[in-house]
Amino acid sequence: MSVKSFKGGAHPPERKDRTSGLPIEYVRDVKSVVIPVNQHFGAPLQPLVAVGDRVKRGQKIADAEGRMTVPVHASIAGVVKKIEPRTQSNNVEGPCVLIEADGSDESAFLAPLDGFACTKEEALARIREAGLVGMGGAGFPTHVKLAPPKPIALVIANGAECEPYLTIDERAMIERAGDLVEGVALTMRLVGAPKGLIAVEDNKAEVVPGLEAAIAERARGYDIGVQLLKTKYPQGGEKMLISAITGKEVPSGGLPMDVGCVVQNIGTLVAMTEAFREGKPLIERGFTLAGGACKSPKNLVVPIGTVVADLVAAGKVEIDEASLARVVYGGPMMGVAVPHFAIPVQKNTSGVLLMAKDEAQAYAEHPCIRCGRCMRVCSCRLSPALLNAALKAGDFEEAEKIGLLDCIECGTCSYVCPARVQLVQRFRVGKQLLRAIKQKEAQNACK
Amino acid sequence: MPANNLLLSSSPHVFTPVTTRKIMLAVIIALLPATGYGIYLYGLTALLLVLATVAAAVAAELLFRAAIKAPRTVGDLSAVVTGLLLALVLPPSTPIWMAVLGAVFAIVVAKEFFGGLGANPFNPALVGRAFLLMSFPAAMTTWNKPFSAIADAVTTATPLNLVKQGASLAEVAKSVGAADSGGLYWQLFVGSRSGSLGESSILLICLGAAFLLAVGVIQWIIPVAVLGSTALFSWLFGMNPLFSLLSGGVVFGAFFMATDYASSPLTPVGKAIYGVGIGLLVALIRKLGGFPEGVTYAILVMNMLSPFLDKLRVKKYGWIPPKKSAAKEAVK
Repeated sequence: MSVKSFKGGAHPPERKDRTSGLPIEYVRDVKSVVIPVNQHFGAPLQPLVAVGDRVKRGQKIADAEGRMTVPVHASIAGVVKKIEPRTQSNNVEGPCVLIEADGSDESAFLAPLDGFACTKEEALARIREAGLVGMGGAGFPTHVKLAPPKPIALVIANGAECEPYLTIDERAMIERAGDLVEGVALTMRLVGAPKGLIAVEDNKAEVVPGLEAAIAERARGYDIGVQLLKTKYPQGGEKMLISAITGKEVPSGGLPMDVGCVVQNIGTLVAMTEAFREGKPLIERGFTLAGGACKSPKNLVVPIGTVVADLVAAGKVEIDEASLARVVYGGPMMGVAVPHFAIPVQKNTSGVLLMAKDEAQAYAEHPCIRCGRCMRVCSCRLSPALLNAALKAGDFEEAEKIGLLDCIECGTCSYVCPARVQLVQRFRVGKQLLRAIKQKEAQNACK
Repeated sequence: MPANNLLLSSSPHVFTPVTTRKIMLAVIIALLPATGYGIYLYGLTALLLVLATVAAAVAAELLFRAAIKAPRTVGDLSAVVTGLLLALVLPPSTPIWMAVLGAVFAIVVAKEFFGGLGANPFNPALVGRAFLLMSFPAAMTTWNKPFSAIADAVTTATPLNLVKQGASLAEVAKSVGAADSGGLYWQLFVGSRSGSLGESSILLICLGAAFLLAVGVIQWIIPVAVLGSTALFSWLFGMNPLFSLLSGGVVFGAFFMATDYASSPLTPVGKAIYGVGIGLLVALIRKLGGFPEGVTYAILVMNMLSPFLDKLRVKKYGWIPPKKSAAKEAVK
C-alpha cells in the first residue's frame, strides 16, 4: 500500500505508547454531569429543561431553530440541579446544565432507524436529532456537512490522529471497526460518494487488517478502502488530509466539498452508526487521558458532561499532584490549557492531558532570528515569519495578503520556532482583529 | 482540586528542543575547523586575533544593552558568532586594536542600533570588515605568507591579487609552490595560501558547511546559487571559473556569510535571486572593481534587497487567482 502525505509539517514527539495498547474503558456510573448548552459550531441553543426537572438518559435538553444548530441531550438520568455559566473546555464560561444522577438509569433514546432504507431527509433529520457534530475539534454540525450542495467523489474517515498523546481514534479503529465502516458506508450513501477511504497514519498500521476485515463484513457493497499516510503533524488537518490523498487543494476560503470531499472524524462515524441502530444520541464520547502527571493513563468513554475532577475524586484516575504543571483539553498542539480540571468533557474533547513539569515548559518569547523554519513547516505555505512581522507592525492589509485567514492554527510554526516566537497565538488574535476590521468596513460601505 | 499554579498559555504546549542558542552553537562548531587551520597557518597571533574579536563582540553587546537598559542577550551566543566570523575574514596581521574596533562597530552599529538579534538589515561581521577596509585600507590589504611569523612581516600577494595585477595562472601556481594549474587548484582547495584568516582551506570550510547543512541550520539554496552564479559569471566574463571559486573568500562567504538569517531573504525564490545576485556582483567586482576581491560588498549590497525579495512568496495553500475587478470587466 502506498503511503501518502502532504508538503511541510513537523514531527513532534508522539508519546502515544503509554495508551495505544490500552482497550477503551467505559465509565457509566458518574454521579453528576455538567453539560455545556452550546457544543457545536453555529447559532446558540436554548435550554429546554428547568431546574428541578427530571430527565432521562438521551432526553433532549437544549435546542434551537435554524440550520446551523444541533441539539444537546442529557447523558445520564437524573434531576436538573442548576443551569448556570461554568468554565468549558475552551477556557471560556458558557451556560451549562448540571444534572445529578438519581440512579434510575432510565433512558429515552430515539427509535432505531435503518439508515440505508430510509429516505435521505429522514436520515439527515435523525443525524441532527441525535446531536451529531464533528468530534475532532470544531464541532461542525454533521447534518449540514452531509447535505453538501456540490457533488462528492470521496468520503474520508480521518484516522490520522496526528496529535501527540491521543490514541482514542486508534482504539476505536480497533475495537469499533465494524461500526466505523458502517458509518463510512452511511456517509457515502447520504452524500452520494462512489468511494470511501479510512485514512490512517503509518504509526498505527496495526489497525489496518482489522479495518479490512470489517470492510469485508460491514461495507454493504460500498467501495471502501484503507489509505496509509506518513506520520507527520498536521496530517489530520482536513486540508492536509485531502491534498495528501487526492493531490487537490481546498480553495482559499472554501470547504472540502469544493474539491468533492467530505472528511469525517472517527468518533463521529461510530456515533452515527449508533444513532441509527440504537437510536442513541451523542451522549458519550471517548477520549485519551494521558500526560506525565497522570499515573493511570487511559482511553475512556464517559457520559458527555463528565467532569474530570470527579473521575479523580472517584478514584478512576490517579494523578501526581506534585508534578502536575499544566492541564490541556485536547491535544498538545491545538488543545486549550485550563486553570483546573473541574471542567466537563464535551462533544469535541479528544483528550485531557495532565502534563508534568518536565514536559510542559513555559518559554519566554525571544526575537525572531528569521531562520525560516516556520516557513518550511507551514502546511498552508503562509510564511509565518513574515505574517508575524506584518501583525507586529499592525499591517493587516499585508497580513491578509500573506494569508492570515487561511491559517488553520495547527501550531506547527510555534512548535519549531527556536526563539519561541508566539506565532500561532498572534495569528489567532490577528484573525479575530482582521475579521472585526472587515466587518466594520462592510458596515461603513452599507451606510 | 489541584493547587492553583497550573501553567496557562496558548497552544502548542510542546516545543522543539532546538533553540536560538543551539543554532548559534552549531555555527560556532562548524567554524572551528577553519579557525583551527587559520591558527595553524599563522600561529599565536591568529589565535589572539580570534579571541580579541570574540571578546570585544561579546563585551560590546553586554555593555551596550546594559547602557540602554535592554535585557541581556549574550547568552544566545550570536555575539560570539559575529566576533568569530569577523576574525575569520580579516588579514591575519590585522592589529588587535583594529580588530576590536571592527568587532565593536559590527555589534553596536550594525546590530544593536537596528534592534539587536534578527533585526539587523546587514551582516554585522561584514559591516565590521567593510568599516575596517575603508578606514585602514593598507592594513586590511596586507597579507602574510602562511607559516611565517607575523612579526617578520613576510608579506605576499593573494592569488586573487596576482591575477588582478595581470599574472597568469601558471605564475599564480608558482607563487604557492605548485607545479601546474592542477597543483594550484589542489593547493587552493586544501588551503596552503595567503588570504584572510579563515578563508584559506576550502576543504575545512566545506566540512563545517556540510555539518550545518546536515543539522538543518542552513539550507542549500543560497550557497548553491552563490557558488553556481560566481562560476557562471566568472566564465562569462572570461575568468577561470574553478579558480574563481577556489581563490578568495567566496566559498566561506557563500556558506557562512550569505546565509546569515537576519540579512538574507526568507522565501525560496528570494533566496535564489539573492544568491545569484551575490555571484554576479562578486564576478563584476573582481573583473571591473578596484579591489581584487568583492565578496564582502557583494553580500552587503544584496542584503539591502532582502526585504524586497521577501515579497516573492510561494503561493499559499488553496491559492485562487484573483478575479479581475468589476471595473476592468466593465471596460472590456
